[in-house]
Formats: sequence, C-alpha cells, structure tokens
Amino acid sequence: MPLDTSTYSLALLRLDGRRWNELRRLNAQISTQAAADGSSYLEMGNTKVICTVTGPAELKGTGGARAGGDKADVRVEISIAGFSGVDRKKRARNDKRVSEMQTTISNAFAQSLFTNLYPHSSISLSLHVLSQDGSLLAACLNASTLALIDAGVPMRDYICACTAGSTSSYSSNDEQADPLLDLNGLEEQELPFLTVGTLGNSDKVSVLVMETRVQVGRLEGMLAVGVDGCKQVREILDQVVRKRGVKILEGSQL
Amino acid sequence: MTSLKRSLGSDPLSSSISSKVFVRSTKSGKVQKIVRELYLRQDIPCASKLCTACLATAPRDAAGVLAPFVLSAKPAGTKAYPNGHYLLPDTNALLNALDLFESTSAFYDVIILQTVLEELRNRSLPLYNRLIGLTKSAEKRFYVFFNEFRLETYVQREQGESINDRNDRAVRRAGKWYDEHLSQAVKAAGGNKKSVPTVVMLSDDKENLKKAKRDGVAACGLKDYVSGLENGEQLLDMIAVVKEGREIRDARAQEELFAEYYSVSKMMTGVKNGTLHQGIFNVSPYNYLEGSINVPAFDKNLLVLGRESINRAVQGDVVVVEVLPKDQWKEPSTKIIEEEALNKNENPDAEDGEAVVTERERKALQEEVKKVHSKSSEGRPQPTARVVGVVKRNWRQYVGHVDESSVSQSVKESRKQQTVFLIPMDKRIPKIRVRTRQAGEIIGKRVLVTIDSWDRDSRYPVGHFVRSLGELETKGAETEALLLEYDVQYRPFPKAVLDCLPTDGHDWKVPASTDDPGWKDRRDLRGLQICSIDPIGCQDIDDALHARPLPNGNFEVGVHIADVSHFVKPNNAMDAEASIRGTTVYLVDKRIDMLPMLLGTDLCSLKPYVERYAFSAIWEITPDAEIVKSDFTKSVIKSREAFSYEQAQIRVDDASQQDELTTAMRTLLMLSKKFKQKRMDAGALSLSSPEVRVETESETSDPIDIKTKKHLDTMSLVEEFMLLANTSVAAKIYSAFPQTAMLRRHGAPPKTNFEELANQLKVKKGLELRTSSSKELADSLDTCVDPQESFFNTLVRIMATRCMMSAEYFCSGTQAYPEFRHYGLASEIYTHFTSPIRRYADLVAHRQLAAAIDYEPLDASVRSKGKLESVCKNINVRHRNAQQAGRASIEYYVGQALKGRIVEEEGFVMKVFSNGFVVFVPRFGIESLIRLRDLAETEPESTFDAEDYVLRTSGSREVEVELFEKVVVRISDVKEEGTGKRKVRLELVKTGGK
Repeated sequence: MPLDTSTYSLALLRLDGRRWNELRRLNAQISTQAAADGSSYLEMGNTKVICTVTGPAELKGTGGARAGGDKADVRVEISIAGFSGVDRKKRARNDKRVSEMQTTISNAFAQSLFTNLYPHSSISLSLHVLSQDGSLLAACLNASTLALIDAGVPMRDYICACTAGSTSSYSSNDEQADPLLDLNGLEEQELPFLTVGTLGNSDKVSVLVMETRVQVGRLEGMLAVGVDGCKQVREILDQVVRKRGVKILEGSQL
Repeated sequence: MTSLKRSLGSDPLSSSISSKVFVRSTKSGKVQKIVRELYLRQDIPCASKLCTACLATAPRDAAGVLAPFVLSAKPAGTKAYPNGHYLLPDTNALLNALDLFESTSAFYDVIILQTVLEELRNRSLPLYNRLIGLTKSAEKRFYVFFNEFRLETYVQREQGESINDRNDRAVRRAGKWYDEHLSQAVKAAGGNKKSVPTVVMLSDDKENLKKAKRDGVAACGLKDYVSGLENGEQLLDMIAVVKEGREIRDARAQEELFAEYYSVSKMMTGVKNGTLHQGIFNVSPYNYLEGSINVPAFDKNLLVLGRESINRAVQGDVVVVEVLPKDQWKEPSTKIIEEEALNKNENPDAEDGEAVVTERERKALQEEVKKVHSKSSEGRPQPTARVVGVVKRNWRQYVGHVDESSVSQSVKESRKQQTVFLIPMDKRIPKIRVRTRQAGEIIGKRVLVTIDSWDRDSRYPVGHFVRSLGELETKGAETEALLLEYDVQYRPFPKAVLDCLPTDGHDWKVPASTDDPGWKDRRDLRGLQICSIDPIGCQDIDDALHARPLPNGNFEVGVHIADVSHFVKPNNAMDAEASIRGTTVYLVDKRIDMLPMLLGTDLCSLKPYVERYAFSAIWEITPDAEIVKSDFTKSVIKSREAFSYEQAQIRVDDASQQDELTTAMRTLLMLSKKFKQKRMDAGALSLSSPEVRVETESETSDPIDIKTKKHLDTMSLVEEFMLLANTSVAAKIYSAFPQTAMLRRHGAPPKTNFEELANQLKVKKGLELRTSSSKELADSLDTCVDPQESFFNTLVRIMATRCMMSAEYFCSGTQAYPEFRHYGLASEIYTHFTSPIRRYADLVAHRQLAAAIDYEPLDASVRSKGKLESVCKNINVRHRNAQQAGRASIEYYVGQALKGRIVEEEGFVMKVFSNGFVVFVPRFGIESLIRLRDLAETEPESTFDAEDYVLRTSGSREVEVELFEKVVVRISDVKEEGTGKRKVRLELVKTGGK
C-alpha cells in the first residue's frame, strides 16, 4: 500500500517519488508501423498509446469526391485494449467517455492542421491504448501530433498536452495546496485535475478539459503549471521528430 | 519495420526508475496485479543541520518555500554514544513503545523512515496518526526520511525474501547511508571525526539487531537503550510488555485459560450467513461479569454471562458472538457483583494454578443459575451468547489507580520491577496488570495506563504505565483524570489557532462606518431594546432577545445569536480545532472552551452595552402565537442589559416596573407560554433528570453547598424561543440544502425499552404507561402521580428518560424525511443554531443559514456529505462525553461537599436487586447502591420477589424494601476502595410507611 496523498506535505514528494513540477518519463517513437501513412508510439509513464494516421484520403462512400466540405475531415477513433487497466474489462461500443475524447481530439486538430488544403477528404486517426495509468487524453493528443507529423500533414504547430492537478482534494479545501504536473492513475482518482493542450511554444491553449471540482482560486496555479508542462512535452516531442529527421537525411531509413 | 523494444542501457533515466509490482485482492475477492512507477532521486535531504550539501538541493514547494532542516547539529549524547546520536527506530520499536517517543524527557532527533511509516500505517492507524502528530511538532525534531525514493537507500525485494525481511534490510541500509553521509558532511565542513553523531537503529527484533551488527550499523535494543538514559527507569515502564511477558510464559508452557478466537474468515462467513452476530460489547454497570450486546438480528439484547463467555472482550470492543443453546438462556442478573469484592486478594504475580473463574465468582454465578432454573416455567429467560472473536478493540488510555494490596510491601521502596494491578476508574473495565519499577511512587496517585494485549493464558489484560496525573483526590489530578476519561481535549489552544484570532484582540469593535466590509448585508438593529437572559455568572452569552408590538396588533420578536461564523472561517486552524473539540465542556469549577477565550467570552459574546455582530431570526407573531412570517439576517445589535434568570423573573413579577425592556419580557413570557402549550399539545415530552448545582466558594472554588436547580418561568421563556429559532432555521437550511443540512434528530425509542418500567408501574402502583407515541407517553406520564408523594412523578420521569434513545446530529442526506423527527420535542425537523460559541453543530448551521440567505457562498467543507457525516459522528461522541464529564464532575464535587458530614435525607428506591437496592436522593441528586451486607454487621438472609420487586431480609436485620418506596437514608462520605473516588455512601435508616 502506498501512502495516501496526505503525506505530500511531509517531504514534498508524490506517491511515485516525483516533485510537484516533474513530468513522468516520456518516451516516444515515430514511424513504428510501416504500413500506415503515419504512426507513432508514446509512453507517458505507464500510459502507452499507439497512433496510426490514414490520409489525407478521398472520402469513401456516398457522393465520392463531391462529398464533404471544403476542408478535410479529422476523424478520430480510440480503442482501449481490454488489458490496459487493472481489471480486464470490455468497453461498451459507444462509451460516452471515449466518444468525448474522440471529439476533443478531433476538434483540436481540426484547428491546428491546414485542413483547407485537402477539401473533400478525410484524415483518420486511430489510437490504440495499450496501458492506462493516468493522463490518457494528454497521451493521445501527443501521440496524434507525432503520427500526423510522420504522415506529413501540414500543421501550424505541435499540439502538446499534459495534465495538471492539485495536491489536496476539493473537499479538504486546503489553501496551501501545491499544483501538480502530470498525474498518474492513482493521483487522478483522488485529486482534482485538468488536461491542457497548447499550440507549440506559445501560451495558446487549444484544449482544456476538466471534469473534477476544484476551488477557483487554485485553478490559475494549476493552469500555469500545466502550460509550463506542455512546453516541456513539446521539447521532448521535438527531439523525437528531429532525431527521425536526421535519420531520414542520412538515408538510413529510406 | 522498427522494433518497439528498447535496450535498457539506452535510457539515461533507467537507473533511477524502478517499479513496484504487487498483487492485491479486493473486497469482492478479485485478485489484481498493480504496477506502479517509482522515481528514485538524489535530492531527498538528510535534514541534519550539519549537512550543507543537502541544503543546496533541498526541495521547494510551488511557492518556493524551503522546509527547514529539523535534526539538530548537536544532538544529545548518552554513555554509549558520546558523540551525540540520531535515533532510527524500526516498526516494532514504534509499535511497542510509541508512548516513549512522546515523552518529553528523551527521544529527540528521530529519523522516521518511509518504510517504517508505511508499515506502521498498515499495522495500526491510531499509532500512525500519533506519529504524524509527532513529526509535525517542532520541538521533538522528528524527521520523515523518504528512503524508498532515494536512489542510494532504495532496496529491491529479493527472490524468496519475506516483506518483513526486506523492510528490515531497508532500515539497515538507510542507517548505513546516514552514517556515511553524515561523516562526509562533517568532513566537508572541516569538522573532526568526534562531532559526527551516531545513527542508532532501535529495534526489538533480535535477528535484525544481529544483522545490523554484521552490516556495521550502530543498533540497540529498545530496552538497552532506555536503560542507558538518565531517567531510564521511569521510561522503561512505558515499553509495552507484550513481548517479554510472552517469552516468560512460553517457557512455562501454561495451559490456556480462554477459548481461542475464531479466525477472521470464519467470523466473516458466520456473520454473513447469520449464525454469528456482530455488535458492540457493553458491560453492565452493576455486574462486571454480565455484558450485553445489541445485534440487528434481535430486538432484545443478547446477554453474555461469566468470564469464560466474555472471553477477553472489554467494554466498547466490537465483538462477534455465538448464541448459546436454549438450556443456557438466563434472565439478566438481579444481583450486584463487583469485582473488587470478589477478587480482592489476588496476587498479580501468581500465575500458576490460576483458573479463569475463581471459586467465589463461580459461586456467585451458580446462585444466579439456580434461581433462573427454579422459575424457568414462567420466567423470561433471555438468549445468552458467548464471544468468539473480537473484530476491533476499542482500547484507549484508562485512568485508574494502583491496587495497593497488589504491591508487595518489601519492594515498595526498592526499584525492583514488579507486577501490580491497576484498577480503572471505569468499573466496566477489568483490572489491568502492569509491570512497573515505580510501584512505590505511584501508589495513591491517579495514573494513566494503556492496555497492550490480552492473551489466552492471562486472566487480566496486560498494559503499561503511561504517566502519573497526581495525588488521588487533589483537584488537579481528579479534574485531569475526568477529562482524560471522557476524552475531552483540554490542552491550551496551539499557536496556529490563536493566530486566527482578530489582530485587534480585546480592542476589536464593530466598525463605526457602515461602509466597512464587515457591514455588508448586515441590518442595523442597534436601536432595538435587546436583552439577554442567562444563568448567573454566564460569560459566553450566545443569545439575546427582543419583542415589540407592531401597529397591526401583532408582535415582532427577534432572537439574536452571536455571529461566531464571522470570526471562525471554515478550514482554518481554529475551525479545525473547534470541530475536533465539538463542544464546550462545563465542569463544576472549570470550563473547557471550544473556542479561544477572546472569542467566546468577549468578541462573540453578546455582552450588554456594546455593539456586537449577530445572526438574527425575526418573526412576526400574532397574540395567539401564530407565526405570520419569519426572516433571517446578519445584523449588528447592542444589548441593553444582561439579566440572570432570577433578576429577569423579579423584574417581570414587579408590577411597578413599566419600562420598555420589562414589558417586552412580559410579552415574550406570554408568547412563550402559548408556544409551550402548543408543543405539549403536539406531544412534546417534559422529561426530567436529576439536576443539582454545586455552590462553590468564589476564591478557592471549594464546594460549600448543593442546591437543586429551581425552575423559573424565565427559563422556559428563553427555552421556548430557542426552540422556535432552532426549528425555523432547520426548516430553512433543509429547504436550501436538502442533502447536506446539519440537523438533529431524536429517534422514537423501541417499545421494549419501556417494558420493564411499564411493568414496574403496573405491579407497584397500578398505573399504566402507554408508549405507542410521544403524545401517549406524555399523557400517561402526566397520570403517573402519587397523591401522597409529589416527587413520585418526577421520579417516573427520570426513569422514563433513561429509557429514551439519545438525540443525535446527522446530515440530512443520510436519513429519510420521516426519520428527521425529534421525538422528545415532537418536532418534525430540528437543528441546533442558538449556541455557536459552545457547540460546533451550531456553527455549521450558521454557515449553512448564511448561505441559504445568500449572505456568503457556502464553503465546500459544509457542502460535502461525507465530510459532514464525519463531523456529525465526532460531535455526537463529544457531546455525550461532555455531558458525562459534566455529570461526573458534579458527582465528585457532591462527594467533596459532603466530606466529613453526616446527613439524613429522604430518598426513593429506584431499582431492587436480590442482594441490594438503588436509592435516589433528590436533595443532592445522588443515586447510590445499598448492599445487603451494608445493612448490618453480618449480612442478613434475604428473599427477593422479582415479580413484586420486593426484597425482604431476615436475621440480623429485618426490613422490607420495595420499588418506588420512600426511605430515609443516612448520607456520609467514604473513599471507595475500588475506584479511588470519594463517593457518598448511603445507609438505610428506616423504610417508608410499612
């Protein structure tokens, strides 16, 4: 049994030994699936996600090339593996939580991609969650960004996301609560948190989701820490992309 | 195709990441495998003031604040460790002797490892909480070192290694690291080797100590360490005797005295399928060998008779029992059995040949059985049960005194360790066997002990001595004993709490300018003729009243309550302290406040002639006491006068007084009578409890006289309007917060509670007690009169009150609306609103009402159901304890007041046993037992007629005592052998008419 979150104040250490402003280990690779147009694999701590991109491609089905608007359609599909959580469980086909995540991701990328370059077409993102340990939405956003870059879809900038929380719960109402960065699964169960995604190195927030209650006074601190975390995430993702770029230039992968 | 596999070496962080993998089973029996990351780091400071390296990397919180280093640079040294030392206890050391670590004479500079803290938390939550308290107190210098997160001290569990071994290894590793780290730190600072403090591992585990020696870690057994201290002998007693005691006994291979408890799983399945029952174990106050437990499956209590059946359960434990076969069912005992009378001369050291049930106990019980058998044809035997397991011990610290006879004379003066019996003040707790070296010193003192264990081979629980409170019968010791016994928080308010007080202190005033934020949304009621009516000498004035006629013939009546919520904001230290204290406790000579003095008796208190913030409830009431409309508002008032009940009564009765205040009081009195009548018509009960007041000398607070409380009209005046305010506020907050309103309910008592009383009244007086509703009960209580004896009615009311349930606070979301009813007041909904200075529930109601009238937003803590429930649970307990403490205090002072006096008084027989009876003396509000053997030199023969409630004696003294009879008793005082309390002693002088 780990200590409960109330011991944070004893040594300013979180349940897994991190400080308040530290990210978990973030590991990413791109072009992991050769068959896809773009693909990535991302680990944020024990949360593991694979993303593949198909497109931009012509819309299938009724209407053919005339269907759709003058912008590309971003479609997102998330499948959560039955073995990804602690208990093996089969998700219902139209899980509300999952469809909300899909919509959030789709809306975010509809804004950041130059979708107007691809009228009458669609870009499909397919996300597979292999393991869950908190910050799922953030991991999905980050994996999608990498896969879209791999697919070569033009975008304004990276969308980088992470979660931010607060060290004590809503009802304990402790004024000395510290903000926290990048919550793991255990922390997410107990503490209020939000998911924030920013566009590149700017402070422009493109995604902000919060489902828990928190005193409004703590929100600003949480948001600031979250945005700061997004910049760190961008740094890491950028490294991954650049490494890949260097390899391509060397021709080793072509 | 790229591979997703990474080689471990490629990750720069891999050396500092580990993961915790473990398997756990859930409540429903599912097995889960949990994987957690663990980030190992090197910036966890050692927190020693000697070290500068750690200071540079020490963590800061989000505000950039650095936690100060706690371990002192020059820790105290002992003979064995002359360079000074830091202590590093392992889990066993803390489990066995946390009392030691709390003592103020030693045990400073202690390093608590995370491993130890987590283990302790899993073993005992109360100990864990106490330890956390210690780490927060600055002067004890306890530091929690998170060794599991530090790279150098992290230990991976090895194949085949038990978790305990792994934890022990982690403790040793941390000790070694500290040693090396400190010597480096001292070297870096240029100090010599002499000034490096030793890190001493404290353990009670021999294996662990051996391994520590092998690893080169300084280690020491707890006992050896303590004996090396200067005041070691006193401290030694505080080590729990568990271990040592067991070893000695193992050697002797004693036979077991008690039956073994069932395994947890056996108990659980038994309870689940209904063959076993779980409940709280209660011991009868008259017979220590008779316990009862209330279980949901039966509406009558199950009896647990005899030491073997009780099987080591102690008052308050949650136990599992098994119902005995029908031929062993019995009636509840009609005999008084007191422990000290039976087992007076036991030797605490003698273990051999000791039977669980002594011959005398057996005899006493035999008689019981015989009697039951003889009448079992028509008797009403109750189901009996035996304890087969304890789910949760409810042991606390007990106050008592050492049984002098158990201390052997020869060693009284010596320092030799010996075993003595400690007799707890609470008669329902068995004697506790305590090993001590200070037997000579603690004789005749009030002492505090805890129970450590109760093994199958011991007749009595084994405990250890915690501290001495002082001489028996000194005011200080007795008061402290009382407070400890009822768990009243009596320590002075800590600084954090006092910091929450207004900075102006005593000079705080209602701001003169009405633009001040304090005036926001406050009504200016300074012009009203407001006064307060309270008992004499009341300093914390919660409430004030006003009334004035309106042009339409109705009256405007206002109840103004101190606005405590203005000063006590939710969730600060003061609020937390108040919620723990729950209520102010009134003792005869002392008041233990819930809020600091400055607020309670000054800034909040609605003192006369000064302006104060208040929370007002204002009604328009017709002359027939119908409420036309009600209104709640925060306000500013200025009380014109603070009356005592007596003064107010004189003023109202004096027809020559025609000023505004007096006429207002007359109006209030007139309305209150009508309200009361309405309440009575609705079925409110007027109950009674024996109430006396101890008059004390103002200087020394020594008791001089005892007066029964007189009832004045002005008392019910205040009471009625407080009830009115409480009910209207309850309705208001419930409508605003249907799920989370703080309310108070009084459950209807189950019928069986009144069975005995109804039967007694029927047999003895031919009266009928109807109990189907509160209205019925109220009416039938009115008819319970004895034309010759005016007090009889009061006596019946006192006895009826004892059959009631106790009222409780609850959160509205936890009960269905019909359950909200207050049985005694016959009110549909009720709360406490009118005494926020002395009750925490009222403060919560204030906050909720303020939110309900949109004065301020509701704080999260009073909006969460779970949180409110825990608050309710606590204040219910505190409330009950406060009442009991108050009563015990009166009892003690009555004893003191009667000291050395002999009085003859009238009394009434309340209860008859086969070998004694209980007499209640209204003049002093005392209730005491007269045993047969007190009647005459040699105990007279007796016959007890249980059906008629008559006890007849013959032989050395011939009397006939029956229930409800008026008797004359001689009251003197005597120091009770058993509890060390000075108690009144009653002797029968003559029985009533016959």
